[in-house]
Amino acid sequence: MQSLGQQLVIAAIPVIPLVVFFVLALFGRLLRENAQYVAIFGMVFSVVFSFFALYLVIRDGRPLEFSVYWINLGEGGGFPIGVYIDELAAVMLVVVSFVSLMIQLYSGGFMAGDRRFAWYYAVLNLFTASMLGLVVAPNFIELYICWELVGLCSYLLIGHWFEKPAARDAALKAFIVTRIGDAALFVGIIMFWRATGTTAFEGIAEAAQAGFIGGSLLTAAVVLVFVGAIGKSAQFPLHVWLPDAMEGPTPVSALIHAATMVAAGVYLVARTYDIFVQSPTAMLIVAYIGAFTAFMAATMALVKKDIKRVIAYSTVSQLGYMMLGLGVGAFSAGMFHLYNHAFFKALLFLCAGSIIHAMDSYNLFEMGGLRRRMPLTFWTMVIAGLSLAGIFPLAGFWSKDAIIASAFEEHYYVLYALAIGTVFLTAFYIFRAIFLAFTGEPRTEGAARAVESPGVMTVPMVILAVLSVASGWVGIPEGFGLPVRDYFGGFVAPSGFARETLEVEPHGFSFLLAAISVLVGLAGIGLAYAMYVARPALAPAMARRLFGLHTFLDKGWYFDALYGATFVRAAFAVGRAVQGFDREVLGGLVGGIARGTGRLGEALRRVQTGRVQNYALFIVVSVLVLAIVAGAQYAVIVAALIALVTLATLAVGARL
Amino acid sequence: MTVAFAFLTGMTLVSALGVVLSRSVVHSALFMSGAFLGVAGFFVMLNVPVLAAFQVLIYVGAVTVVILFGIMFTQRPQVRRFRTIINRQIWPGFFAAAGVGAFLCYILATEGWGETGPGNGARSVAVLGRSLLGVDEGLEIFSLLFEAASVLLLVALVAAIAISRRKEGAGGGEAGR
Amino acid sequence: MQQLVEQLNAQIPLEGYLTVAAIMFAIGAWGALIRRNAVVVFMCVELMINAVNLTLVAFADFLPGAGGAGAGYAVLIIAIAAAEVAVGLAIVLAIFRTRRTVNIDEVDSLRG
Repeated sequence: MQSLGQQLVIAAIPVIPLVVFFVLALFGRLLRENAQYVAIFGMVFSVVFSFFALYLVIRDGRPLEFSVYWINLGEGGGFPIGVYIDELAAVMLVVVSFVSLMIQLYSGGFMAGDRRFAWYYAVLNLFTASMLGLVVAPNFIELYICWELVGLCSYLLIGHWFEKPAARDAALKAFIVTRIGDAALFVGIIMFWRATGTTAFEGIAEAAQAGFIGGSLLTAAVVLVFVGAIGKSAQFPLHVWLPDAMEGPTPVSALIHAATMVAAGVYLVARTYDIFVQSPTAMLIVAYIGAFTAFMAATMALVKKDIKRVIAYSTVSQLGYMMLGLGVGAFSAGMFHLYNHAFFKALLFLCAGSIIHAMDSYNLFEMGGLRRRMPLTFWTMVIAGLSLAGIFPLAGFWSKDAIIASAFEEHYYVLYALAIGTVFLTAFYIFRAIFLAFTGEPRTEGAARAVESPGVMTVPMVILAVLSVASGWVGIPEGFGLPVRDYFGGFVAPSGFARETLEVEPHGFSFLLAAISVLVGLAGIGLAYAMYVARPALAPAMARRLFGLHTFLDKGWYFDALYGATFVRAAFAVGRAVQGFDREVLGGLVGGIARGTGRLGEALRRVQTGRVQNYALFIVVSVLVLAIVAGAQYAVIVAALIALVTLATLAVGARL
Repeated sequence: MTVAFAFLTGMTLVSALGVVLSRSVVHSALFMSGAFLGVAGFFVMLNVPVLAAFQVLIYVGAVTVVILFGIMFTQRPQVRRFRTIINRQIWPGFFAAAGVGAFLCYILATEGWGETGPGNGARSVAVLGRSLLGVDEGLEIFSLLFEAASVLLLVALVAAIAISRRKEGAGGGEAGR
Repeated sequence: MQQLVEQLNAQIPLEGYLTVAAIMFAIGAWGALIRRNAVVVFMCVELMINAVNLTLVAFADFLPGAGGAGAGYAVLIIAIAAAEVAVGLAIVLAIFRTRRTVNIDEVDSLRG
């Protein structure tokens, strides 16, 4: 058990950014440009505390956990809210808080002069708080709450420049598509809760081990949870929102759509790994979807003009790798790739942001020759690109190669083929982007006049570049021959139960497989060089001749068109039907009542003739009726008489 | 007795019908005084000749004259057709009034009024006068009502003058209270 | 013959007077509802008042418990009815002056 002081410190990790959110939301208008200092001040504490938590986990060797009862349902159990930090969560805490700090530093320069500067920082901090809360969640409920909050912040940040209709649409698209995943996730949570009576991860895992959940039910629930992960991590078929999410500010893309939020899906699978491994079907689904997404997204990135979209598709592709890793049982490799990817992908986005900040354009074909004008951006981007392509000895190599090797060694040859193909495509498209942007001659005025970005932006880039190179060195496998241990793999490992269930034997380091993947990567870079530096006319010619294929890839395999024609049109049709019902039936009903009352009033108006004798007649008749009612013996006679008299009076009165 | 009763009944009811159905307003007024006389006869049969005298004096003497005055001031040419004097409510009115009359007859005739016999009321003027103005016990509060009626008469007098005064524009413009 | 004379000399029961009064009331009500001339309507109202008077006096004579109070009421009603005629005719005259008509079908400005 931790002391109260330690508990407070650990609880403060997600709470500090939350407090900063409230402060900035309330006082943003006063603070304006000073909002960044408030935010960074708070974030530094979160980072330090995250390192402290990591230190505690390393020192104690077991997870930190404490919780309080939030909703107590008595007999039905309850939902506690608290903290569960094991090795995986500790690493994620450090990654998330550190990258968030880098982004917040960078945003000070990028978003300078923005109209809603303080609000941007407020939502960014709310996002960080939610993501940290998601990481430390001990049960599905807290995870789901933070999951939804993260989605909300993504919506708010993508749509930060809501004056642009494209940004509004993109934010809505992101929210709606991830909502589909969230709904499936929620159904999965309910299924688990019904079957086991608890929503805590540990509880569900134990119940699953003990066999409380039937086989098909378990698979179904776990697949539903995975669908939630698909939505959040932009895997096939819910990948369509991520490229459009690039309408948001570039630091947002770096933080949310590269390093953290999209990693939440992978994190969810890792968190519930003990449950996943009990369903081989689910594992296969995860692996195949991951590999397919990796390949598909890489093909789509080949032909994009917008540099941010290239990087966005790259994110989708790399997340596919992580899912592939988890699916074939390479838990440590998958999480290792998540950890490395956070750094070099964030760096790639920051470089793109630096270019955009300098020349105000995303279009690769408007850039060119920036190598001489923005050298720092150039070199950091090259480093990030090499790490992404998995070139030895940078960080990306160690994790990506581990995944690919596991796929091969577990005899998933189809997945191996897809993965290797994707390595080639990845190297090609990222260096296509780099060569188009930085080599050759400037293609436009803007490119000719670009200058390097200010220090507040380049310092985080440099830090992340160093990490892109070195972060993988904590995970060098032993077979490589260096006197270092695989710290990461030893630290972030699946539980003993998972290991037994998977029956994965640890493989030694295979030089052959590593060499193959590095060579394939270099080949990709070489082809990019050939097509875009040595013979620049080759690419447009190919595009013209392979026009059908080019368009197919450019339109994202026509997924947007497909979804638009089916779901979107159906949804709009339903909406129109409901609107019609509301207008015609309900509106008509209400209007009809009003009109009917009016007409009744008009009809009754004719009784008011203004003539005293008419009124006197009505009075006499009424007295007569009352007298009969009071004095009569038989109710039927009374009723008949009253009806007769009333009808007669109305008939007469209408003609008066 | 019966003969007298039958005669008075016929006179009263025929006069009443004459009021309603006469085409000339003056004929209606005269029929009305005929009805008043019939009622006065009934009062005599009911052992209150005092009231019969009052009836003749006030109703036949004063009210008829006042009404004739009113008719004179609102002179209209005599009409030829029945339709002109009767409005469209003739049949609904007939049934309503007939219904009321039938109902009243039914109730009044079938209700048991207990041990009744003529001759229970005041016979002489002295008795009536004392009952109207006296304050002995056993008598009702007629003295108060008497005074209230006097006030009412005064008010009515003033009101009638005020309403029918021909002032410059104002009195004639009032469309009644 | 003796029976006929006896019959002719018989007392009129209370219900007789009441029935006559009721019929007179009904005729007066009918007239008040159907005549167009305001003064004639007035006259019909007087008929109704007289019917009520007759009823009151009949009860005063026949019912022992009332102590002859009905006659007193009748006197007061006569007085009040006379006052009402005066005021009512004043009103009719006032209307006649402005609208030049005593046809109460035409006094319908509160119509609708």
